[in-house]
Amino acid sequence: MISQELKAVILKQLNLDDFDLKDETIAPEVPGWDSLNHINIILAVEEKFNVKFKSYELLRLKCVGDLQKMLDSKLNK
Amino acid sequence: MNIDVNKILQILSFNPDDPLIFTTGLFLILFFFFILIYNFLLKKTSLRIGFLIFFSFYFYYKSTGYYTSILIVSAVINFFFAKWIASTENFSIKRLHLFLAVLINIGILAYFKYTNFILQIFSDIANKDFSPLDIFLPIGISFYTFKSLNYVFDVYFDTLKPTGSFRNFLLYVSFFPNILAGPIDRASDFLPQIEKEPFISREDFGRAIFLICLGLIKKVVVADYISINFVDRIFDFPLRYTGVENLLAIYGYVLQIYCDFSGYSDLAIGIALLFGFKLMENFNYPFKATSIADFWRRWHISLSKWLLDYLFRPIQMKYRTLRTFSNVIAVFVTFLICGIWHGAGWNFILWGALHGFMMSFAMLIQKPRVKILTALKIYNTKFHKFFQVFITFHLVAFSFMVFKNRNFQTVLDMLDQIATFFHGEVFIQFVEQLPLIFGLIVTGYLFHFLPSKLEKVGIKFISSFPLFGKVLLLVIVIWIAAQFKSADIQPFIYFQF
Repeated sequence: MISQELKAVILKQLNLDDFDLKDETIAPEVPGWDSLNHINIILAVEEKFNVKFKSYELLRLKCVGDLQKMLDSKLNK
Repeated sequence: MNIDVNKILQILSFNPDDPLIFTTGLFLILFFFFILIYNFLLKKTSLRIGFLIFFSFYFYYKSTGYYTSILIVSAVINFFFAKWIASTENFSIKRLHLFLAVLINIGILAYFKYTNFILQIFSDIANKDFSPLDIFLPIGISFYTFKSLNYVFDVYFDTLKPTGSFRNFLLYVSFFPNILAGPIDRASDFLPQIEKEPFISREDFGRAIFLICLGLIKKVVVADYISINFVDRIFDFPLRYTGVENLLAIYGYVLQIYCDFSGYSDLAIGIALLFGFKLMENFNYPFKATSIADFWRRWHISLSKWLLDYLFRPIQMKYRTLRTFSNVIAVFVTFLICGIWHGAGWNFILWGALHGFMMSFAMLIQKPRVKILTALKIYNTKFHKFFQVFITFHLVAFSFMVFKNRNFQTVLDMLDQIATFFHGEVFIQFVEQLPLIFGLIVTGYLFHFLPSKLEKVGIKFISSFPLFGKVLLLVIVIWIAAQFKSADIQPFIYFQF
């Protein structure tokens, strides 16, 4: 389940009013989430939640649900 | 009847000048027997896979001889490195294994492909004479190295569980339809298909026939024919021809390289589909692209996706705090390496750098560009799109001119002829003297720019044919291709003015 906070950060970066982000949603399904914009989203998530991801962790993400899980694991530490 | 066994053995043996590519008569005969035996083994999984590996190795041996052993070494190395990566939770050890796997793979590739090029550079710097070492370049090595590395990377990123079967991995690496020229298929897509009993739906069969027919027409009728009879002659001596002929030769070459490469991919995908394997798409109407980045989403997709996942993204993520500049650095480095991957020559490096530069530049000016176009009220209009396609196509055409010419002076000569010695009236002579070449170029581009849904209509139409109809269509296309292949080289009249 994607949290409202994470969803808000992603949608703000993409200039989207609303989009149904699910666990299994992948970047190409979301308007504007291309390989270039991807870093802006990651940086925004890192800034908003004050976390730092490793490159290795970011490269294994497959879907938004993976990003949520990784974020949760960082926040729970 | 006397059968010359020695002659047959000679034909079937390794010959580096005569690789077993899909458009040869020998492949057609061997593939016929392959399909017969393969169908007989459909329900016997191990025998079927074993036979497929055997045929794949023979196919590769025919083009590379004893260098086939490198393919086996590569498969063994990558299979075990991936296994070791997956077997440990220690991140440093995982990373060390990945590093070693990449080092060995790229080391083998670099030895065969770039040794002479690098030695030549050193000799040039030292101002010494250089005689190249006798290094045989095993065909397809760039493709299967990247294919194997994809497996190791995916296991490292934990997005793919390593296969426990070396046999299946060996088939993935050696699979004959895509070993010589791609598509650089993903292990995650290919491995799960191996042990499934092949099922070819009516639609799949129709698509296979469609792709094989299309591939033959693109490769033999269009690419090979316009290359021998027109393009090469102008590129060899551009100063002997007018600007209009040079320009037509560039347009011809762009179509030729597309038809050659995508035609071969169509054949690979179609042939694999005939015995139940689905390979990834490799081309998607690249000249309809509205930007260079869009072009790379449509051209040699299996390579561009590979570069995106295993080169661009890691660099981009590592330097992400630089924001747009991380994208700029990542895209430039990626395409520079893309150029080097294509061959050991400054033309390829320059070609890659050019693409990297064009995309980096587009990123940097994106915001002001959108502002200006919006202010002019043409942003996202039909005119804008047409203009984008037109500009992108010509930038791509220019880059391919650099790609083809090992000598940069030829590029300058061609541009100079176009700028200062155009002689547009020669176009009429060209059409009159070489109607077939002109017709092929026009038809080639026309089909390219038609709506892509026509392809689906074509596949559906062919799928509706009875088996006899499909075979007849294939025979007709093979016959046409054979006519073009055996046609004498067309006399080329040097246009006098």
